[in-house]
Amino acid sequence: MGEAEIRRIVILGGGTAGWLSACYLSARLAALGQKIEVTLVEAPDIPTIGVGEGTWPTMRGTLAEIGIDEAAFLTACDASFKQGSRFVGWTDGSAADAYLHPFTAPREAELADFVAAWSADGASGFAAALTAQDAAVAHHLAPRQVAMPDYAGALNYGYHLDAGKFAALLARHAVERLGVIHRRERVVPASPQPDGTLAALVTASGEAIPGDLFIDCSGLAGLLVGGALGVPLVDRSDVLLNDRALAVQVPVQPGSPVASATVATAHAAGWIWDIGLPNRRGIGCVYASRHCDDDEALATLRHYVARAVPGADAASIEPRRLAFPTGYRAAPWTGNCVAIGLSAGFLEPLEASAIVMIELSLRALVESFPQRRATIPFLAERFNALFTYRFERIVEFLKLHYLLSRRTEPYWQAQRAPETVPPRLAAMVELWRDQAPGPADFPHADEIFSAHSHAFVLYGMGFSAPRRSIGAESLAQGRRALGEVARRTRTLTSALPPHRAYLDTLEPGRTAAHGAFARS
Amino acid sequence: MSQHQVLDSLAHRDLRVRTDAGAELGDAVMACLVMPAEFRQAQAHYPIVFRRDLESGTFSALALFGFDNGENLFLEGDRWDAAWKPLAQAVQPFLIGRAEPGGPATQVHVDLSSPRLVTDGAGGVRLFDAAGHASPYLEDIAQKLGDLDAGYRASAAFFAALERHRLLEPFSLDVPLADGTQHQLVGFHIIDEDRLRALDAAALGELHADGHLLPLFMALASVGRFSDLIARKNRRA
Repeated sequence: MGEAEIRRIVILGGGTAGWLSACYLSARLAALGQKIEVTLVEAPDIPTIGVGEGTWPTMRGTLAEIGIDEAAFLTACDASFKQGSRFVGWTDGSAADAYLHPFTAPREAELADFVAAWSADGASGFAAALTAQDAAVAHHLAPRQVAMPDYAGALNYGYHLDAGKFAALLARHAVERLGVIHRRERVVPASPQPDGTLAALVTASGEAIPGDLFIDCSGLAGLLVGGALGVPLVDRSDVLLNDRALAVQVPVQPGSPVASATVATAHAAGWIWDIGLPNRRGIGCVYASRHCDDDEALATLRHYVARAVPGADAASIEPRRLAFPTGYRAAPWTGNCVAIGLSAGFLEPLEASAIVMIELSLRALVESFPQRRATIPFLAERFNALFTYRFERIVEFLKLHYLLSRRTEPYWQAQRAPETVPPRLAAMVELWRDQAPGPADFPHADEIFSAHSHAFVLYGMGFSAPRRSIGAESLAQGRRALGEVARRTRTLTSALPPHRAYLDTLEPGRTAAHGAFARS
Repeated sequence: MSQHQVLDSLAHRDLRVRTDAGAELGDAVMACLVMPAEFRQAQAHYPIVFRRDLESGTFSALALFGFDNGENLFLEGDRWDAAWKPLAQAVQPFLIGRAEPGGPATQVHVDLSSPRLVTDGAGGVRLFDAAGHASPYLEDIAQKLGDLDAGYRASAAFFAALERHRLLEPFSLDVPLADGTQHQLVGFHIIDEDRLRALDAAALGELHADGHLLPLFMALASVGRFSDLIARKNRRA
């Protein structure tokens, strides 16, 4: 039994997670010379949840490895560039309260040197001082020029995309190019075998679809990992209080500027996401049902749309309503079944962690892909420890956004209540009063949020720079680096094209209204 | 039809300049003016030749890119295959203007008819930032225009010295191509090497003191670039 080879992968679910898994596993394992048959089974009538519409820069590498070219991807998915997340109203809700968490981490100096020089001289915001990306986002510029080779950027970037179209593109690519077998069937898992592994999925007509390794991409339902194998969810709603969302798509006027960051705007009992695509904006209101009822949330969403989207009919929007758990599975890999995507865990989309966790899961799986069943228990244990660590770090990083707030509404006070703050996070924030976040705080090779990310949130939200002196030489180094960033900012803001103009070159049909806009 | 205007941060705030190369951008040219102050860099890439203006009778220097009108052998699609361009080429579509004719105050002028200028689309580099301040690109252009102006004003003395010592000789070059055809380049002058070699110490001392000796020898050295130009021509044939 232990010598049995892994030859057949069966993926359950055809959303972003399922098709990304199908593409990545077939492309990568084929490149590694492994003969693996990949089958994706999806029920014909289950809609995708469609909230994961922001990626991280990792997606560029993922798409390149899968073999999809960038312009084709951008066009097929109505995608736009994402250079980070802009947080509005999180600190105190005043008019000037906004900061960027950019994707570009500066390399010109150590983070501590930057922090010291910025706090000694700093007139500008932290992100604006450390990276040209702040100005690029402020001016709605693309992170790259049209003539650059695929997936290269002057600034680091990921994407905003239409999740439905993305899944469709991946499905075509998987079936037509990568030889993935696609089956539209309503299935149930066969009962686990005595050793706790799955042998097959069974269709409504009783046909068995056998597999050696199963990937559960069935979304929040978790049909295999939760349903068949009974792996429990680790509940983290004790830390992150939001449990509802209203989601809507709002069309935009041709030629209107396209934001190149996700905008997350705080409200009295949660926050609103705003994701700009060339043809529409995906906007959603996240809230805690204990502090805000559905009607209040709808009014908040309508108010935002009326204010933020020119020409939108805010009164008539009818959003989709979502109720979501907050948590993750401690053992996403159980037996011969790996949960990838929402089946492995769901956290509010504040830092767009959903799609990147799919990519990281796939990378970890392929890096040590089991050749024989004998190695599975050890690999599974290692995988589960890694992803428990990652989910916990995301929980803490999201909590940091609430913890630093000085907003006074009951919801915001509840978010800061000491009993809701993970002890490790509380200890780190205490440490950062004395020293800037550094590599020792984030010791893993692939930390999901780096010291830089933490610094962008901390100092973006007005956290005091450490008073501990770092020495004259480090300070001088930091100042030189700030000067370099300032020069680079001027050069890039004059050389990068407007985001809208870039996207319109891909889709000439959208160009029509641009001339008029440019002169307005 | 050229259409020159004083560059203005308000009127031209949204102008962007395409800095790539291409025939459609006006780069299909056989030669461009090069200043003696640039000869050191120029001779590493292009032959330098001299031409007498028939009306004024004065000389100017050119960096050669090709053998026929409209032929630029350094232009390969959207790429200019040399690491350096003469200032007069690099500042396109900008030029130096004067507040008053002959006056000392210079201004940046722009040729609004240039195909390099765009106002929409995703190409080009901005001239001004949102606050109306010059972009680093425009600062660089202004610097180059200043250098070009200084180089131009210094060049008259150089050409006068060449004429005084009769150091220019008419030049014709037969260009036999690999396909058997024969081309000829006529109408230019180059440095007369024999006359240069015959100059006495006093003349050399004077040329050296005036800073003319270095560009003179650089122009002489640049003749070696003709073999590269012919090789480029052969590759196109």
